[in-house]
Amino acid sequence: MTIQKPTGKRTKPVTHEHAPRVNHRFDPLTINRLGLWLFLVSDASFFIALLSSRFFVVGTSTPEEVAQVLGLSLTILLLLSSLTAYRAEAAAEHGDVHGAKRMLLATMAMGIIFVFGVGFEWHEAFKHFPPSTAFGTVLFTLTGVHVTHVLTGVLTLGFVYFRVRNTDSIGDNQWAVEGAVKWWHFVDVAWVFIYPTLYLLK
Amino acid sequence: MHKSIQETLKTGWIVIGILAVMTVAEFIVAIAVDDKAILFALLLIAGLAKAWLIIQYFMHFGQLWEHISDAWFGMLSDDPEADGEED
Repeated sequence: MTIQKPTGKRTKPVTHEHAPRVNHRFDPLTINRLGLWLFLVSDASFFIALLSSRFFVVGTSTPEEVAQVLGLSLTILLLLSSLTAYRAEAAAEHGDVHGAKRMLLATMAMGIIFVFGVGFEWHEAFKHFPPSTAFGTVLFTLTGVHVTHVLTGVLTLGFVYFRVRNTDSIGDNQWAVEGAVKWWHFVDVAWVFIYPTLYLLK
Repeated sequence: MHKSIQETLKTGWIVIGILAVMTVAEFIVAIAVDDKAILFALLLIAGLAKAWLIIQYFMHFGQLWEHISDAWFGMLSDDPEADGEED
């Protein structure tokens, strides 16, 4: 058996002389995924700045009036919505368009309940720490920015549902489902840090 | 290699189960621990662990590295000048 020495040169791919050069490495899905991740990282930096502002403004102290049970319930609800979003993506990937539709609807429903939950939290928070107080500033800013993200997530999932509602196959909408679901998970990750920062610290 | 739908759903249930347990544990720890520094450290560790679970299993973070390496080596292997030198 002869062993060839490496020449240090890259081997040229065999292509037809007149065939157009197609870069398979940069297919649209790769570009879409890389672009979305880049956006998520940039948006995460915004949340990191807001979360750190909590410690500058009020330190680690949390008022006793903070609705602990509501905070825990909202967290579990958002985590459950991540499971349904994950199942929607899995169903779409395996061609189960009806399962994907059901899970998209379930995720949106939980997102809407979450928004109402935050609305109730605001109603209670106004009584104990209005936005003019230090903790109120932090709470309304963090939850306000986050709930805006949740609303955009619900709208995006609704848009995707609208696209697939009358079809029997996912077809070209595979990326739409994946992108919307990734965005939803990102919103969940943000809440994973917002919850202990606002509710659990002493 | 693609997982079957059953395997994918099983992964989802396992991850959500761990996330739920960790969330309840956070809540209990916050009640039980009085030391601010220790509580902060514990909550930070729990938050990072939960975020990692979501990012790794729900957002398919590993896929991102495949795309980055694909894009990187794609840029190298599809350099027209380099191809021209070999002609």
